[in-house]
Amino acid sequence: MSENGILIEGSRVTKRFGGITANDGVDFAVAEGDLVGLIGPNGSGKTTLINVLTGHLTPDGGKVILRGRQVSGKPAHIYAATGVARTFQLTQLFGRMTVLENLMVPGLTRPRSSAHEVARRARACLEFLNLAHLEQLYAKNLSGGQQKLLELGRCLMLDPAILFLDEPFAGVHPHLRDELIKRIEELHRAGRTFVVVDHDMESILRISRRLVVMARGRKIADGPPEAVRTDQAVLAAYAGL
Amino acid sequence: MRHLHVYILLAVAVLALAYAPRVNPYWMHVAIIAMFYGILASSWSLLAGYAGLFSLGHMAFASIGGYASALLVQWYGIPIPLGMAAGVALCCALGGLIGWVCLRMSGPYLAIFTLGFAEIVRITFSTEDDITAGMAGLHTEPLFRAATRLPYFYTAFGLLVVSLALMGAIVQSRWGLFLRAIREDEQAAAASGIDVARFRILAFAIASGFAGLAGGFYGHYIGILTPSLGGLDLMAVLVVMAVIGGMERLPTAVGGAFAVEFLLELLREYGQWRLPIFGVILLLTMRFARNGLLTPFWLHFVRLGGGARGAAAVVAPGRKDSRA
Repeated sequence: MSENGILIEGSRVTKRFGGITANDGVDFAVAEGDLVGLIGPNGSGKTTLINVLTGHLTPDGGKVILRGRQVSGKPAHIYAATGVARTFQLTQLFGRMTVLENLMVPGLTRPRSSAHEVARRARACLEFLNLAHLEQLYAKNLSGGQQKLLELGRCLMLDPAILFLDEPFAGVHPHLRDELIKRIEELHRAGRTFVVVDHDMESILRISRRLVVMARGRKIADGPPEAVRTDQAVLAAYAGL
Repeated sequence: MRHLHVYILLAVAVLALAYAPRVNPYWMHVAIIAMFYGILASSWSLLAGYAGLFSLGHMAFASIGGYASALLVQWYGIPIPLGMAAGVALCCALGGLIGWVCLRMSGPYLAIFTLGFAEIVRITFSTEDDITAGMAGLHTEPLFRAATRLPYFYTAFGLLVVSLALMGAIVQSRWGLFLRAIREDEQAAAASGIDVARFRILAFAIASGFAGLAGGFYGHYIGILTPSLGGLDLMAVLVVMAVIGGMERLPTAVGGAFAVEFLLELLREYGQWRLPIFGVILLLTMRFARNGLLTPFWLHFVRLGGGARGAAAVVAPGRKDSRA
């Protein structure tokens, strides 16, 4: 971690797709132990920012600094190896692999990992996520909520310093959503850093310690949830003004 | 009984080796060709079935391996095994290069790219007749100067077993798991820490190396090499073999190669009609049994020995029920 406690930082991040500027000079920093909610209307550039900060996209401008070292342009697996984990807006599991195999994959990418140790950790992770009874099922056969939980588990197997969760509550049954929130809060209390993107304002406000709002590719607000909720620029963005 | 399926396979192998001297030359030739296709189908399964890289250039690598070995032996008089090894090395390097060039391609784009590569190879071998003898065919040194095909049978058997053992070790290891993860979702695989580019290149290099090995053996067995070895016709036959058998497992791909090769011979009385018959079988397989016709039988067979589903050994160490 850098001296000022910043774990990951996107500085003046710009990303264009053809004529559209998805991220326009965005500054976004996350300190260790933070739980940041990232919100904004559809098309505001949240997922693009996550893709840049996790190495899935290379920024056209600006840089990404991870633990004080510039990592822009490096492939995603390097980010993962450095402790950056993520889930996807539309769940992306290894569908025709078992639930256990889904967790074994990230575990085995860790240096000097042994299959026995990874299997033990994977089973402990499945217990934590209440998925242990589904260990031998193909991931594609899980329900939507269970898939979101498994994707979270896959992140945890990397033993990450920071987790980016892209719309973890979308399309999830309220019961499983509560389960997911409980797990995120537990992990946060245990010292994990989170950035959570979602449209479910109730859930985001429930868990976030800090709220960042984006609109039209720019960051328009950043601060404690109670302050951001009443910010005029945020209200205008959500009202489409 | 634990590992019963392994003992049964060993018993069948011993019986086949013991019975081989009594087999007539015609069926022995069919068996040798079936084993040649077995190496090709299983290595293509590693590439297309495990890693999801649907290449149509696999037979081109067999052709390159065959020509490389034949020409090196002819020009420099090196021992045939050394020529075959050089062919394998060349195919590994070229395969890795092709894998690197088409890193960002998948599905139909990759298929068309590799088909284009195969056609370039075939046409080059056809037109450079000063070197390759073109369509007239390049005469090769025989691997054995024996009166029977028995030494070729044992060699093909040995090559198939060694190839399957090596590829089996790969797919049962963490590498196999990573290749399957890449097949399922490259982005998620990268997010899980897998160096996707490295493993795609490795898959191409390894599979191409085995294709080169098969091609080298074929060249020194048949005695003549023509550019059609790397053509689309034989590639289509290879795909039919692997898909009908089951392209997501090495043994079923080999089983598909054996079944199709022997059935093609048994159905000779139907002339060219046997080919549409296999076309229909392929269509029905794709419609009703996408994992291949032999996969259910293989899974039942594996369960005799206490295995299940066919998961990699690395997946569940210490768990008896999840090995295969």
